[in-house]
Formats: sequence, structure tokens, C-alpha cells
Amino acid sequence: MDLSGCAVVGIGRTAYTRRSGRTGLALAAEAVRAALDDCGLTAADVDGITCFSTGDSASPLRVAHAIGIDDIGWAVGIHAGGNAVATVIANAAAAVITGQAESVVVYRVLDASVRYGKVTAEVSVGGVEQFAAPHGYLVPPQWFAMWARRHQHVYGSTCEDLGAIAINGRNHAANNPHAIARDPISLDDYLAGRMVVEPFRVFDCAYEVDGAVALVLTTAERAADLRHPAVHPIGAADSTGAGGMPDLWDDQTAMYSRDAAPRLWARTGLSPADIDVACMYDCFTYTIMATFEDYGFCGKGEVGDYFREGRATYGGDVVVNPHGGLLSEGYLHGLNHHYEAVLQLRGQAGARQVPDAELALVTAGAGPYGGAIVYSSRRP
Amino acid sequence: MNASQGPAVDRSAQHPPQPAPDVDTAPFWEATASGHLSICRCQQCGLWLQPPLERCRRCAASTAFEPVSGDGTVSTFIIQRQPAVVGFFDKVPYAVAIVDLAEQPGLRLPGRIVDIDPDDVAIGMRVRARIDALAGGDFHLPVFVPVD
Repeated sequence: MDLSGCAVVGIGRTAYTRRSGRTGLALAAEAVRAALDDCGLTAADVDGITCFSTGDSASPLRVAHAIGIDDIGWAVGIHAGGNAVATVIANAAAAVITGQAESVVVYRVLDASVRYGKVTAEVSVGGVEQFAAPHGYLVPPQWFAMWARRHQHVYGSTCEDLGAIAINGRNHAANNPHAIARDPISLDDYLAGRMVVEPFRVFDCAYEVDGAVALVLTTAERAADLRHPAVHPIGAADSTGAGGMPDLWDDQTAMYSRDAAPRLWARTGLSPADIDVACMYDCFTYTIMATFEDYGFCGKGEVGDYFREGRATYGGDVVVNPHGGLLSEGYLHGLNHHYEAVLQLRGQAGARQVPDAELALVTAGAGPYGGAIVYSSRRP
Repeated sequence: MNASQGPAVDRSAQHPPQPAPDVDTAPFWEATASGHLSICRCQQCGLWLQPPLERCRRCAASTAFEPVSGDGTVSTFIIQRQPAVVGFFDKVPYAVAIVDLAEQPGLRLPGRIVDIDPDDVAIGMRVRARIDALAGGDFHLPVFVPVD
């Protein structure tokens, strides 16, 4: 697998706010235009567009139309959550490399009509969730609190360990003017946070916002003529198990990454020690804990010490979520992690720049499904 | 979905989520309505299948629902402290577990653990299903009661 014939050349986003008062279509159009402006391309150059959503989003067709495109050659909407981010970007890269499109826009938008953490209207529920929902068990924080509890039981990990992850991300977000939550927290602050669904406190959960993010991908050849240094996806891997049903996964102390990580490292010829920046999907702190172990940065049950010892921040082994992640920058369903990776590999991250960043791991998803992409600042 | 517009909703009057059965899952709810816990099972190789399937995922043979003991073990659990799900806003705190059923490794059901202080629930606890009525309709569902 070689995706390096493709490059990310443009990045754009809206402000991330609690409530924008705007439609998803308006937010998506703004982010896509910003990504095109960033690289110096125009809507007339775009012949491919894709996004993932859970049925909530402005569709690729409507977003293309909204920015003035009358003929789009490759438009693909994928019905999925954060598990599919790496898939969507790898597909876009494949479309570019195989000539299905020359310049592809990838976006994700979330507006106030979408909040995953609560269900307040009366509902009838089908699918596998019909066995869970009548128990008051229906939203993602509940699924992954189950997983975290199991890890605590098997490996002796603690709430303080989860807190170390939350604190690390929040400290990073303090240097990110775009982040929704920028006040650093101490362990006391973390522990005093309200318990949402035990063992998760409020600081363990992603910060849901309104906003949109967009990337522009094109050929490596065309990228060479554009405004910013090209950032190359050099490998990707995904895994889905248990049919994507969190309760059925065989070992909740590990995630999809147990299976995807060996594939990723084999395809790229890299190892965790090579990675400068790790933008880890963090719908919950526990997602970082389990996937960080699975990708091989440390052993089972060692994540808390790793973060407390400063190994996940500047001057340590790898900088995890320099932007603050979904926990502190905002829940853009993981596409904001790709924005940050590109910014870091261009050397444009300002006060939070990771020195000499050349390789970034960006993970996607949690539980039984997800994947990752490795980006390089150089074409291999 | 936190819409703040419109008249205030009386949360205590709201019903919990109701199942929306399909042809594969309907026998589960028909069994609970008659007071029994039944699970889908392959009629050839004997594999228990939850969620149910028309055909076995291992050998593709036909399936049917058969009664199970209702005995299980808490694999993991949560304690819901903040209101999150309609019909349960005034029910916090409550404990929900993933229960490993005795019939087969990996055969699981989620369910509330009842008749116990949520703080006393533990991984490894032995539980047994009890069929309760679900408020807001005609459905019945299995909740789990500690047996030790």
C-alpha cells in the first residue's frame, strides 16, 4: 500500500462553538472554502468531495453545490462515525492516485442538531440497540465507561490514570486559541468534576461543539506547485470486529487497534518510536488509554505513568494531541486531528509546534472499529 | 439533542425507549411478554446467537428461539449518575451491566442490575434474569437480580 502519490495541500475550519445558530450546510461551506483558500485552489479545481456522517450532515452533493460546483465527478458520503475517518481519507487518496478525481475535498460538520451524549425525546429503537435502550443504556459515554471499568478490573488502571490523559490534553489546549476548553486542570480539578457515568467524569468525555473541518487532497505532482509544504499520507489501516457492536467485543481492555496496529506498522515499516506527533482519537480518555497500548507506545496498564512522567508531551517520547483533542479542542469527530497533524508537519502550529515534527500518527474510532493514517512531511 | 426551544417537558412523564422489533428479533419480545427469556439458537450446530439472525453466522443453518436459564455473570458495568436517556432522567443513579449468560462464552445481554444498591455491584457478580414490564407500552424486558 502506498498513498504517498497523494498529498494534503489545504486545511480549513470554522470556529468551534457551543451553539453557532447556523446550519450544517453553512458551516461546511465555510470550512471547505477556507481549505481551498489555504492552498490557493478554487471550487472550479475540485472534482471530488466526500464526508462521513451518521445521517446528520449536509451531504457532499449539497456542499459541492453550495460552493458553486456544477459538475462533481466523485462524490461519496459514508454512513459512519469517527471510526471511518481514516477510511474516508484513504479512499479520497485512492481516488486521487487512481485518477478518479484530481482534487478531493474531505469534510465533517456537526451542528447543534447533533449531540451524541444525550437522548431527550421519546424514541423507539431497532437494531441491536433495542436490547439495550429500554434499560436507559443508549449513548456512547455509557458504552465506553463499560470498557474502562473492565480495564480497571483486569489491569488495575485507575481514574487518576484517566485523569492524567485529560490533564495532558487540556494543558496542550491552553496553547490553542481555537480550542473550546483552554483552562488547564489539576488532578484535584479532574477528580472534582461531576461523575457522568461511572467511571467517567465530565473531563473524560469529548466536548461536543458546532463546527466544520475540511482538507483538500491532490496529486503529489500538483502539490509541489501549491502554497504550503505538502503533507503525505504514507500508510493507513483499519479494523472492524464484532460487527461494530461495542457490547459484543471479546476483550474490552483492548480496541480495534489491537488488530489494526500491526497492519499499520507492517504497511509503513514504522514503529511507535518513529512517531513525533500522535493525534489519538479521544471521544473519551479511555479511548486514548486502550489505543495507546494497542499501537504499542507502552504496555498494558502503563498509560497513567507514561502520561504522568511527561512522556506524552513536549520533551517526552511523543506529543499526544497537541491541539487538545476531542476532549478539549472540540468534538469534530476526529477530522480536526488531521487538521492538526498537517499543521504540525508543515511547521505552522505556532506556540504548540512540536519541534522537527516529521511523522504524525492520526487514529480514528474507538471500541470495535477504527483505523489510523500515518502522515509524513516528506514524500518517501 | 438538547433543544431548549418550546414548552418545558415533564421529564418524569416521559417513557423509556421502546424496542422496535423486526422479524428476526420479534420472538425475543414475544417470549418476554409471556415471562420467559429465550435466545436465538442454530438448529444445526447449536450456536447461540445474540443479536438474533435468520441464519446461523457459523454454519448458515436455520435458527429458532429456545429458553435459557437466565443465569449469568457481570462482565462489566456502569453507574449512570447524570441524566442521559429519556425515561431515566429521574431514575439516576442506576447500574447497567453487560451480563455473560451461562449458556455459552461470549453470549451477552445488557441489562439493568436491580434490587441492589448500584454501589454494591461488582464485576464477577452472579445474577439471574427477571422479566419486568417496561413502562410506556406492552413490552417486557429482562433485568438482572444478584443471586448471592
